[in-house]
Amino acid sequence: MQSYWFGDVGDGCCTLFIGDSNAIIDRVRSISANMGSFVPLEWEKAVLCGACRDRIDYLSRLQAVCIAAAERSIREQYSRKDAELLQMVRTLDEIDTVINLLSERAAEWYLVRHPAFSRKYRRTPAHVLVKTMREKSKGALGSVAAEIERLAETRTTLAKEVSARANDVMPNTSALIGGLVAARLLSHAGGLLFLSRLPASAIQVLGARTALFAHLKTRSPCPKHGIIFQHRRVHNAPRDVRGKVARVLAGKLAIAARLDYFRGVVAPEFLDAAQERIDATGRRSEP
Amino acid sequence: MIWIGDVLVSQGEGGVYNERMLGGARVWDPHRSKLSALYHVGRGIELTPGMRVLYLGAANGTTVSHVADYVDVVYAVEFAPRPMQDLLEVSRRRKNVIPIMADAARPEQYAPLVEAVDLLYQDVAQPEQASIALRNCSFLKTGGILVLMLKTRSVDVRKEPAEVFQDTLDALISAGLIVQESVWLAPYHHDHAAIVCTKPEV
Repeated sequence: MQSYWFGDVGDGCCTLFIGDSNAIIDRVRSISANMGSFVPLEWEKAVLCGACRDRIDYLSRLQAVCIAAAERSIREQYSRKDAELLQMVRTLDEIDTVINLLSERAAEWYLVRHPAFSRKYRRTPAHVLVKTMREKSKGALGSVAAEIERLAETRTTLAKEVSARANDVMPNTSALIGGLVAARLLSHAGGLLFLSRLPASAIQVLGARTALFAHLKTRSPCPKHGIIFQHRRVHNAPRDVRGKVARVLAGKLAIAARLDYFRGVVAPEFLDAAQERIDATGRRSEP
Repeated sequence: MIWIGDVLVSQGEGGVYNERMLGGARVWDPHRSKLSALYHVGRGIELTPGMRVLYLGAANGTTVSHVADYVDVVYAVEFAPRPMQDLLEVSRRRKNVIPIMADAARPEQYAPLVEAVDLLYQDVAQPEQASIALRNCSFLKTGGILVLMLKTRSVDVRKEPAEVFQDTLDALISAGLIVQESVWLAPYHHDHAAIVCTKPEV
């Protein structure tokens, strides 16, 4: 017997699937064939079954069911908690890029208007310079600077939201490396499911794609860390153990991501042991 | 295939992706679509009104919409939700596009929806492109045609594209398919090759 979307066909008889539109969508989404003994579907069987009148009717019914099933799958995938976090963290990183680009350009513009001005020998943080530009410039340059400040405010709000959401979606990973970096790992992996499936070695170099492929293709040294470098325990570690810390941290992150995906709640016993292990790695080689 | 001068077109409702129109027909751009590129650099295969097509890796449905202009029905398989949203919009406007949200590497999940087809077209960014094609050959009628758009960089970035190309050809031939044509899609698409095979009678 062969099961098709419209019913079961076998030995010259055919059982039409009876059910409302939801039931048939469920059937389409869960049905599966045994490819070993699979007989390709013949649409004429559906007519014999009484599922449809003719080929046009057959295709339009099949299309309606397939569209509905796909719509439901899309809705389900988008309603997962990590789907929105992904967009949030990517927006955050893009706002950063935009702020940098605009501030650099505005500063160049400002230099033309004020030939005597230079940033050399002054410790002027970018946001202070933007503030000066806003106060001292007329017209469009002033409003560009104001716009940069407003973007920076949005960025601060968004960063808080990303952290909060990451703590909720991936509590264990966030506890190990902080919400922002955890969210960036998620964004590079493409989702919590994909992150949880990555081996620790891949998590360690996530975000260091250019260096990694340069290493694979040529004899350049392999990257020790990608995004996880942004975490303080990696970038504050002494140079000689930095790679080791990154490796241990990545190992624990791989476990944490799986805990987050399959359990979704904090696992204190794991976290305590992991934090201890990571800290110990960073300390070990200190004189 | 319909050509106006040296421009490949298809007859159908336009405006799917703001494509250019030429004499009431939709221009099928070889720079955007690998299948169109195949018709420009090689022979390709004639799409006929009675054809049933299984299209793996339908993406946003741009090439799908052109194929659907020529043939009877296109079963369009796509896995990712974002392009699927666009593909659904194409399906709502075209009666002969059946969108299937499934993984092309797992044909058992959509086998109960798909008929035996005359043409199996595959354009997926996966490492296992040859084995995905072979697994889906169960849907292909005897004498049916497989068009495999080989993305060599998806198979292995470290290998030379030519090497990946040869490995894939070998895999298809040793599985019993007869290779009709195999061409690189340059200058339209880099590191992409098209392999056209037929499924022989057993």
